[in-house]
Order: sequence, then structure tokens, then C-alpha cells
Amino acid sequence: MSRLAVSDVSVRFGGLLAVDGANFSVESGSVIGLIGPNGAGKTTLFNVITGLQTPSAGSVTLDDRDLRRAKPYKRARLGIARTFQRLEAFGSLTVRENVLVAAEMRKRWATTRYDAGIVADKILARVGITALAEARCEQLPTGSARLVELARALAVDPRILLLDEPSSGLDEDETDALGALLVALARDGLGVLLVEHDMPLVMTTCDYIHVLDFGRVIAQGTPTQVQTDAEVQRAYLGSKATM
Amino acid sequence: MRSRQLVAGLVLAAAFVAVSIQNWAGNDLSLKAIEQLLVFALPLAGIYALAATGLVVVYSTTGVFNFAQGAIGMLAAFVYWQLKVQWGWSTWIAVTVTVFVLAPLFGILLERAVMRHLAGQDLVIQLMVTVGLLLGFVGIAVTIWDPNVGHSVPAFFPEQGFQIAGVVLTWHRFIALCVALALVVGLRFLLYSTRAGIAMRAVVDNRSLAALNGVSAQQVSMFAWALGSSLAALAGVLIANETDMSALGSLTLATLVPAFAAAAVGRMRSLPLTYLGALVLALLQQFASLFLSFGGRWAQVPNRIPEIMLFAVLLMRPAANLRFARLTATRRHARVAKPRSAAAGLVVLVFAIALVGTLLSSANLARLDEGIGLALVALSLVPLTGWAGQVSFAPLAFAGVGAAAFAHWGGTQGHPWALLFGALAAAPVGAVLSLIAGRLQGLYLGLATFAFAYFTGDVILNQPFAFNGQSLTTPRPTWFGISFNSDRAYLVLLSIAFALVAFLLVALRNSAWGRRLVAMRDSEAAAATVGVNLFETKIAVFALSAAIAGLGGGFLAMFYGHTASNAFDALVGLALVLQIVVGGVALVTGAVFAGVFRLPIQILQDHWDSKWIRGLQQIAPGFAALGIIQSPDGAVVAIADGFAPLIPGRTSERAERAKRTRERRAAARAREAKIPQLGLTEPFTAETIGEIERRLGIASELAAGRR
Ligand SMILES: Nc1ncnc2c1ncn2[C@@H]1O[C@H](COP(=O)(O)OP(=O)(O)OP(=O)(O)O)[C@@H](O)[C@H]1O
Ligand SMILES: [Mg+2]
Repeated sequence: MSRLAVSDVSVRFGGLLAVDGANFSVESGSVIGLIGPNGAGKTTLFNVITGLQTPSAGSVTLDDRDLRRAKPYKRARLGIARTFQRLEAFGSLTVRENVLVAAEMRKRWATTRYDAGIVADKILARVGITALAEARCEQLPTGSARLVELARALAVDPRILLLDEPSSGLDEDETDALGALLVALARDGLGVLLVEHDMPLVMTTCDYIHVLDFGRVIAQGTPTQVQTDAEVQRAYLGSKATM
Repeated sequence: MRSRQLVAGLVLAAAFVAVSIQNWAGNDLSLKAIEQLLVFALPLAGIYALAATGLVVVYSTTGVFNFAQGAIGMLAAFVYWQLKVQWGWSTWIAVTVTVFVLAPLFGILLERAVMRHLAGQDLVIQLMVTVGLLLGFVGIAVTIWDPNVGHSVPAFFPEQGFQIAGVVLTWHRFIALCVALALVVGLRFLLYSTRAGIAMRAVVDNRSLAALNGVSAQQVSMFAWALGSSLAALAGVLIANETDMSALGSLTLATLVPAFAAAAVGRMRSLPLTYLGALVLALLQQFASLFLSFGGRWAQVPNRIPEIMLFAVLLMRPAANLRFARLTATRRHARVAKPRSAAAGLVVLVFAIALVGTLLSSANLARLDEGIGLALVALSLVPLTGWAGQVSFAPLAFAGVGAAAFAHWGGTQGHPWALLFGALAAAPVGAVLSLIAGRLQGLYLGLATFAFAYFTGDVILNQPFAFNGQSLTTPRPTWFGISFNSDRAYLVLLSIAFALVAFLLVALRNSAWGRRLVAMRDSEAAAATVGVNLFETKIAVFALSAAIAGLGGGFLAMFYGHTASNAFDALVGLALVLQIVVGGVALVTGAVFAGVFRLPIQILQDHWDSKWIRGLQQIAPGFAALGIIQSPDGAVVAIADGFAPLIPGRTSERAERAKRTRERRAAARAREAKIPQLGLTEPFTAETIGEIERRLGIASELAAGRR
């Protein structure tokens, strides 16, 4: 049982307060949604959690361990993995190699011994991209590249998985499959934090949702609660995402 | 961060005081002496400021860091000489034509023909193209203006000036100072009060927004290059009188490295800080020449002050953010060789080299020997730059370290293990360089290694524990009863050594560690989030690279027989780096290309000696660099692709490639067509802005800054 907690985190870029005292937590075994209009600060929060961005204030803890001093690679070794909104697959490596890099790296801190190649193949199969295994990532369309990032993140064997708009670039069937996969992963004990603009996906997969606007959590609750929240309606008014 | 910079500043200040006390020449630090210092330093600072401003203006508006800046100044100095001295034009007309007509035209030409195509390219490619131009321009100048014939430009108003503080301030220097001051004011006016200047600043601030507001990035870029090369020319013309024009390399570097150092103080964008950097540098240099005297092992220190300052300033930079994947226009297609096929290829290579060796004249055979030795050194860049994406200009400096260790630890007696000691000695030096400079990225790392290479070549390698300013005897070995003394036998030994190292590298590339290096190059941010310790990985790859170079250094030393530090000259090192990038820096065959690149020209020259063919030896590598804009994987890949259709079973490859290219073009056109509609019918999303940036080829720092 793991718990990632974000407490009072603020991030300031010059005059812009991109994240403003955000509070929420993710527990293993659940899919938590983090939604909000463009520029709400979702990606910035991901960067704070994974250590790519130092917060101006606040802290991130994993199982009550303060991560402030932990470098990004340390956080990965503690069990936090992520995908990126703007693609960060290793472009000149093949799909399988992308996953392999993570699986091989994990041997450094894993407690059990395993064959990285077999692990990689299993993960490729689970994410459904076995057919692409030998393709170079830079030649893949966006949707597939996102799945590669998901597979790579899974190879870290994380306890908490952060997904930044994983469904963009996927067609409807693929999105459904993704949703099913996320639910299954949570059932296996993973804590998933999902940033997504595809509202049907969020509403069907998430157990609990936090709504971010101008860097602040303006609402939270179950999908049904959030859908009917007046604040949320207002925040999304004029933006293209429909609830 | 702040406290770290403070500590670094204090350490530097303490070092400065200590060095000054140690080497004090004995003059009193009187008010008059300080006045003299200023009289000498200010005009020099003015010249540096001009050159650095050109660099900053171009870099901040176009994202291209121009290594050829100093060479443009050097060319301008010679053009000025031609007009003024050879053709007897009046000074004012000659200056005007050189600086205000020819230089801007040259800048525009460069922009249109070359620089425009560099936007959004990989940093290594951007840097190498301008390094290539640097070497190419030097080659052209050597060919047109024979360095053995004295060229000197007279000062403006020679022999005249006025007295300040007991020293003469010549009109020439006075003019340099005034011009610099006028430019400071003029540039401020230009940047803040003219349309062109405002457009430039808009582009610096935010390229995509500027583009959306109707600022043409291309026009701005052209203007920046015209201005930049004008400033370079002015600096070159002004400094030509102060330096020895026959030493073209030093004339080129006379403004280049100081400009780097000053621009680094200004973080490559702030002009006032850049001027401050130019002033500090000039003061340091004049201080050293007026008050300090360095002898013996430290004799070269005063000449390396710009490099020392550049290095120190770079180290004071705060650690860079992790690099995200670059949205580069380049796509790499090079296949990764498997160890088995590589082994077969390398065996063939050894035989091929030995065979070629038997066909060559003795002079060319020796050149081939040296070339394979250099190729071994060039191999050191394959893991470092080719896979891990770390820019380094220092491979030959590490080779020098290796050669010195080799000579001291048994090489003079011909012991085989001395080679190993050479490699083992270079490895920690590489690790230490990475330890202190590894926080830097891309351009800054490149500049730091550049400064390191110069300092090592001139100062470190001349220490008593290295070459001590002499040449050491490093004979070729006799191993297992076989003498490798003849060039032919040594060639075989060299190519076997090359093949072994190359094979190990191919095996390494196919290992977990090799994949990790490539992953780090593709996206540092993503590599870190899967648990890769970037700091540790960089140190390891720097150490490995230095070890390979050190081993190569030992082999080079045995080739020369008598080895001195000048065999590891930084400018030669720069050319070597350029050549392997042209050949293909991710491939071991690229290193062979780097080593033997000049041989055909040398053979040609044997048969048909002319000034231009001799010049071609320097010009060709420079302009070959332009080829990597088209084929970023390097010449070896381009050549192999060209030959592929001739190999049975691979005939379809060309058709496939053509199809891929067509598809890419079509996709690019479709993307392009979409841009004008973006933002009109729907609000911007990160996706669409990403698309715009991709199209405009925005540098990764800007893109990363937006995340
Ligand atoms: N490095 C940075 N420097 C300056 N501003 C930044 C930086 N990164 C993000 N921002 C700004 O911070 C705000 C939050 O950005 P962020 O990318 O976190 O939003 P988001 O919720 O992920 O939006 P989207 O749904 O579009 O992905 C935006 O206004 C963005 O422009
Ligand atoms: Mg985002």
C-alpha cells in the first residue's frame, strides 16, 4: 500500500503562479483523475512530483517520506513513473529497446532477479504494442508513441504511475482498451494519476477526480459529483472540453 | 545556487591573488601604473566587445552559435590589407568597403546559403558547421594570402597619438575605443528604437509569438547575420594591427576566444554584461602583461587567459535543467551494427588498410599511419558524442595526456603496458572534467571542453610531469619478437588496435549501458524518470572516452617516435572532431573516415602540386561539414546508402528510402498548410503550439521552457 501526497505545492514562473497551493493524494489501487482547462498547471504538477521542477513552496511525500531532496532518478527508484504530454520516447531506439532501457535500469534497485528481455516482452504484450516492437520510436504516430511511454513507465515497476494525456492520438477503440488497462493496473495495486482531456475516459475509469483551475484544486469528488459541480462548469465554460 | 556562485567567486579571487603574488614582476602598483593599465586595456576591451556583440546578436536571435565569428574577422583583416596595402586605397574607403559593404553582404550570403538550414538542427551539427566554416575560411585565407609573405596592416595614423600617464595612446587604439563606445550607444538605439531592432528583441523573447505577430524570422535572421559579420569584421580590422597576421590561426582566435569569454559572462544574451566581460578580460590580460611575469612551465599562461576565464565563467553557471527531447528536424536512420557483422567488417577493414598501405608511396604510407592513429583517437567520440550526445572538443587533449603518461611509464623503453597506463591516466582526467563541467549542457559543455583543450595543450602538457616543453623519445615497439619499426608493420599494428577498440565499442553499443547512453541523448528528462543517474552516467562515459583517446595518444606517440606537446594542438583537435562528425560520429567507420579524410587530397597533391590543392587540405574538411546539414548521420552512411542499390538483395532499399522521403515531405506540407488555420477556429492547445514550434524549428531550450 503506497500513498503519494502533494501538500500545498506552489510553482511560480516569474509573475505567473502556475500552481497555487495544490493539495491531493494518490493511493495504490485507485485511478485518480486530475483534470482542468489548458494551462491549469497539471503538467507542471507532474514535473514537481517527478522532480523535474522545483516547487516554490510545498512538499511531495511518498509514504510519508519527503521527496524534496530526491533527484528525479531517485524518485523513479522509489516507485514513481510517468509519461509525458509532449512526447519523450527515446526516438532513435526501437519500441522494445525503449522498454528494455527501463527494465534493465531497474535491475540496479530491484530486489528480485529477472530477465529484462522477458519482462519487456510481457509489458509490450500487455500494452498491446508487440507488433511494433522493432519499429523506431521517432517513426511512430503520436498515439503509438504514447503507448510506448506507458510501457516504458510500467517497466520501472512503479507504485505510482503518472499519465499525462495518454489518450491523445488514440482512436476510440484504442482509448477504450487504454481505459480497461488502467482499471486493470489499479486492480493489480498500482496508484494511477491520470491527466486527461477526454472526459468520457476520465469519467469511466477514475475512482476520484481533482479539478484544477489556475493552479488551484477547485473541486474534487467522484465522477458524478464533479460532473454536476457548478465551479467546474464555470471553469470549463468556453473551453472546448465538454463535460 | 547563489551561495555556490559566491563560493566559486571567492575561490577564483583567492586564486587570482595567489597567482599574482607568486608571479609578481616587481613593478609598483602605483596610480600611474593603474592609469597605464587602463590606457592599454580599454581599447582592447572595445575590440573584444565588438566581436562578442556580434556573437551574442546572432546567437540570441537565430540560436546558432557562430564559431566562424573570429574567422570572418580574420578574412576581413586580409581583405582590408588587400584594399589598403596592396591596392593602395585610402584608409577610410578601405574600412568602409570592408566593414560596411562586404562584411554585411557576406553575412547575408552565409545566412541564405547555410545558416538558414541550421535552424532546428541537432546542436552537434549546428556547431560543427560553423567550426567547419572556421577551418574553411582559414584555409581560404592561407591559400590566397601566403602566410610566408609578411602581411601587416598599418595602424590608422601610424606613429601618432597622445600621452596619458606617461604612455602613448595611439590614435589607432583611441579609435578602437571610440568605435566600441559609439556601438554601445548605437546598438541600444537600434534595439530599442528601430523597427528592425524591436523585431529582433521580439524574436529573442518568444519566437513563435513574434512569428504570429507578423515578424519575419527570416528577415530578422538575415539582419542579425549582416550585423554580426560586420561587427566581426570591425573587430578583425582593428586587431590586425596588434597581432601577427602571418599566424592566421592566432589572428582568428585573437578575437574569437575573448568573444566567447565575454559572451559567456553575458549568458549569451545580455549586452551590458557582455561588455563587462570584455572589460574584465582585457584588464586581466593587461594586468598580467604589466605586472606579472610567468616563466618556465607556466610561460604559456598569459596567452591562455581568455580560455581560463571562459572556463571559470562557464563553471559558475547554475546547473542546467534536464534536457527534454529536442524537436529537431533531423531524423537518424543509421542501423546499429551487431557485434558479429561488425567483427567481420573490421577484419575486412584491417586487410583493406594493410593492402592500401602496400600501394602507397612512403610519404603517403606515413600519412596513413598517422591517419589511423588519429582515427583511434576519434573513436573516443563515438560513445561520448555519437551515443551520449555530449559535445566535446577535447579528444586530442586527452590523447596528449595519454601520450605523456605513456612516455613516462615505460613508453620510452617500449613496454607494451605503457599503452594501458596511458589510457588509465587519461580516464580520471576525463572523469574530473565531467565532474566539474558535467552540469553544463550542449553549447556550454562544448565551450568548456574547448577551453580545456587549449589550456591542456599549452599549459598542462608542458609541465614537468608531462612533456616539459621538450620532445620525448617514444620508439615503436618490438613485441613477441616482431619489430613494428617500419611504417608498414606499424600500420598493421595500428589497424588491429583500431579494430579491437572498434569491436569493443560495437559490443558496448549493443549492451544495456549502450542503450542507456542513447536514451540519455534522446531525452535526459525521460531517462531520469526511468531511474538513470545522469551525473554518474556522464562521468563514466567521459572517462571511457578519455581512456580511448589516451590509448590512441600512446599509439600516436609511437608513430611519431619523438613526441612533443604540439602534436596535440587544440586547432588540430578541432579539425579531428569536425572530421568524425562529417564522417558519422555515431559509427566506428566514421572514425576511419576522420582519420583518412585528407589522404586522397595529399595523394592528389603529390601528382599535381598547386597552391589550391595544398589549400584544399584545409578548405575541404571545412566545407565538407556543410554536407552534414543534408545527411546528419554522416558521410559514411550517405555513401553506404548510395552504394546499397549495387549490392544484390538491397536494391529495393533506395526505392523505399525515396518513398519515405516523399511521405515525409507530404506530411510536412500538410502540417505547414495547417498552421495558418491554427488559433483561428480553435484555441491553442499545447499540441498546436508544439506544432508551430516544430515548424519554426524552435531551439529546445525555448521549447523546454514552455513546459
Ligand atoms: N517552464 C515554464 N516557464 C514559464 N511558464 C511555464 C513553464 N511551464 C509552464 N508554464 C506555464 O504554466 C501554466 C501551467 O502550465 P501547464 O503546462 O502545467 O498546464 P497544463 O494544465 O498541463 O495545460 P495543458 O492542458 O495545456 O497541458 C501555463 O500558463 C504555462 O504557460
Ligand atoms: Mg499539460
